[in-house]
Amino acid sequence: MIHIDGSAGEGGGQILRTALALSMCTGQPFRMSNIRAGRKKPGLMRQHLTAVQAAYAITGSQGAPVATGALELEFVPGVVAPGNHTFAVGTAGSATLVLQTVLPALLMVTQAAGADESPMESTLVCQGGTHNPFAPPFDFLERSFAPVLRRMGAKIGLTLTRPGFYPAGGGEMLARITQVPKLKHLSLVEKGALVRRRALVLLACLSRNIGEREIHALQAKLSWPKDTFELKEVAGATGPGNVIIIEQEFEHVTEIVTGFGERGVSAERVVELAIEKVRRYEVAAAAGAVVGEHLADQLLVPMALAGGGEFLTMRPSRHSVTNADTIRKFLDIPIRFTQRAEDVWHCVVG
Amino acid sequence: MAEKTGKQNRHWKSPSHRSAVPAPKETRRASTKKLVVIGLLGPQLDRSTGPDRWNMWRPSVALCQHEELLVSRFEVLYQQRFEKIATQVRADIAQVSPETTVRSHYIEFVDPWDFEEVYGALLDFARGYPFSPETEDYAVHITTGTHVAQICLFLLTEARYIPGILLQTSPSLRGEDSVGTYSLIDLDLSRYDRLATRFHQEKEESVSLLKSGISTRSASFNALIEQMERVALASRDPMLLTGPTGAGKSHMARKVYELRKQKRLVTGEFVSINCATIRGDAAMSTLFGHIKGSFTGAMRDRPGLLKAADGGLLFLDEIGELGCDEQAMLLRALEERLFLPLGADREVASNFQLIAGTNRDLQRDVAEGRFREDLLARIDLWTFRLPGLRERAEDIEPNLDFELEKLARAGGDRVAFNKEARDRYLAFATGREATWSANFRDLNASVVRMSTFSRAGRITVEVVDQEIERLRAKWAVPGSTLGRGAECQDEGTDSGRTAERVQAEAAEIVASQTVTRPDLPLPLPDGVDPENLDSFDLAQLQHVIHVCRQSRTISDAGRALFAISRTRRRQPNDADRLRKYLIRFGLSWESVQG
Repeated sequence: MIHIDGSAGEGGGQILRTALALSMCTGQPFRMSNIRAGRKKPGLMRQHLTAVQAAYAITGSQGAPVATGALELEFVPGVVAPGNHTFAVGTAGSATLVLQTVLPALLMVTQAAGADESPMESTLVCQGGTHNPFAPPFDFLERSFAPVLRRMGAKIGLTLTRPGFYPAGGGEMLARITQVPKLKHLSLVEKGALVRRRALVLLACLSRNIGEREIHALQAKLSWPKDTFELKEVAGATGPGNVIIIEQEFEHVTEIVTGFGERGVSAERVVELAIEKVRRYEVAAAAGAVVGEHLADQLLVPMALAGGGEFLTMRPSRHSVTNADTIRKFLDIPIRFTQRAEDVWHCVVG
Repeated sequence: MAEKTGKQNRHWKSPSHRSAVPAPKETRRASTKKLVVIGLLGPQLDRSTGPDRWNMWRPSVALCQHEELLVSRFEVLYQQRFEKIATQVRADIAQVSPETTVRSHYIEFVDPWDFEEVYGALLDFARGYPFSPETEDYAVHITTGTHVAQICLFLLTEARYIPGILLQTSPSLRGEDSVGTYSLIDLDLSRYDRLATRFHQEKEESVSLLKSGISTRSASFNALIEQMERVALASRDPMLLTGPTGAGKSHMARKVYELRKQKRLVTGEFVSINCATIRGDAAMSTLFGHIKGSFTGAMRDRPGLLKAADGGLLFLDEIGELGCDEQAMLLRALEERLFLPLGADREVASNFQLIAGTNRDLQRDVAEGRFREDLLARIDLWTFRLPGLRERAEDIEPNLDFELEKLARAGGDRVAFNKEARDRYLAFATGREATWSANFRDLNASVVRMSTFSRAGRITVEVVDQEIERLRAKWAVPGSTLGRGAECQDEGTDSGRTAERVQAEAAEIVASQTVTRPDLPLPLPDGVDPENLDSFDLAQLQHVIHVCRQSRTISDAGRALFAISRTRRRQPNDADRLRKYLIRFGLSWESVQG
């Protein structure tokens, strides 16, 4: 039984999600203690319980009941079975994080499933928040993460049925995942030529004026062509929401930065915070970095499962370092970050 | 239904309020039991439409939006006219809290500020709700509804009509989000002395529950009932009910059970047995159960009464009749909550509350070695002596009415006294002549007989006069056939059965009018307690003793007693037959000679 100290490093829910994902992929049970011990509300929150239940659902097994606030968890995975599932996250919690938890296990043919030659498809309906701060928003998964996974050989299709924002939630996304025998090594050391860029403002159930101010502020900060700015009023949203998505698509990688409108925070300030992140990437990219902070974080698990990969990125976040430590508990694979320039780090998996 | 605004709401937990009442202990929830919230819909606070409602603090929705508070079920109470708000709230909870099942309950008040009305409506809800505290935790949301409704919910929770904790929600301080905060308050962990005094009235109701069926005007009996109520609610220790036969011990044990059940202090069954009916080998297996094949005739496992009372209440009447082995086993079951069924090699656990009944002097039984001292010490922590009916003469009239009412309810026709008959009966019943030796059983039987002999629903002076004669005769003869039959059976409170029995007796009396009653028996020898004998045995024994005392030798007596059957025997040994008969009652030839 693998033991994981949940208070290690960054000490958040990411340790749990990575552990669940790799436990399912490798069939190794684990026991986690001090879950989210460093947080203001320690222990498991409802969205974590949903992630655990989702993990049990796709491995067709059942664990002992777990309460919110629990600091310990024991997870014994069953055999991964592709299929159709719906996972609903409460409190407008991130539906993308639940997807992130079960995705690796459904991507790769694992354990006994290899006997059957036919590809095995899963359709997941994930409900809850699709655009949450502190979680990869749907647009990031669709246009930044999924394309890289496809280059590694993954077969994955993502569709947004309707967006869901905090606090109302009610969003829904669809993921079609086909199992493949093996993920390929991938090297992301060049971003290639710029293909497209755009700054998108999503607005739901809020005054158009907010969006217009954001567009205006974005135009002032980014000296991009006029037709790269777009204000999109979202139909079908169940509650108010406002997201800024700044997207730079290169030949080999797409960098997406997001900003979230919040009560009591001016439209201009929301733009300012997002632009800061864009600038940080641009500075690192000028020195040779390819992969942005968030994508780097997401790539570690698939690359470790593929048995190798490398990319040039920005200074690894604490999140990434903790994630790498968790991965090494399940997979005997080195993950190294080496500084190459002031803002450029080389990450080598395997 | 009006309610306070969010701003006033915060006042509920303002410092001034807190200083009046000791700060409640707030609990963090880390239970794997399902959490069920019970709350009123707030027609003001929960009312909001359009997308902007997500920017408003709506307590009923907000309480389902906390990332660490998982509400498995939400029982929402509201007046039907607020259906539209409820529909919106249900839909929004489904969205933000797919883990929560919302169930709607209509609750109607004409005036939501009327204490009595609101309390009554909420009490009805609480009483009708199938609480299952073993599998679910309950939290009562007290933020919505009128102040009156909030206080009523508080009272119901404190009085444990709702076996839960309080859930208080409040908006975020600076309005930065619409979810706000909450606190869970466990009243068991805090002292609400001031508010507790408000429950006094509430407690009256519990007391009247214990009394129900035993109407009382007697101040001393009232005081006794109040003490019992306090003990019943506060303690799971054994209780010992003493008092003469028919004083209502079994009835009182059941009432204690019902009270505890209503307050959800007990989850199991009420199991009752008269130990005098299970003497001998059967006692062990009846009480403690047996394993299939543990003795001849044990065809299958039998769990036994102690197991049947697991989580509930076991009433052992006539506990002094228990044999030594059973006493020892019972003591262990009380102290360790474990006992060994017959033939079993593993002990069985049962967590029951014991109420014991006796009309014997158990202290004397201990002194004479018939009852275990340690068992008595264990069961007489709370001893209540139920007075006989004679000591409660002022209660005879209300009980007479109660018995008549009970008969009518049991399906019989309504029967009433005419005025003269009633006066005459009461005068006798409360007079010096009436000993009421079997207490409530005598009264019950008497009423059943009179109603059987009544014509067209009227009990006339003639019927009363005949009944008075019957009662006189009964009380003049200790242990006569009249009424004795009931005493040696399990105390069933089933009035239908009792009525049947008494009616049969009444019919027998009518039929036997011409039969002359036997001579009054001689006093019984020491060691024979007529209270513990079936009337069948008693009549026979009295005759046997009578003959013995008139005979010179045991052989003479035997010859007289077995005059017919001895002629059919090849070797009549009358003396031996007689000796063996006497031994069954603990008697010998010498002792009957007295």
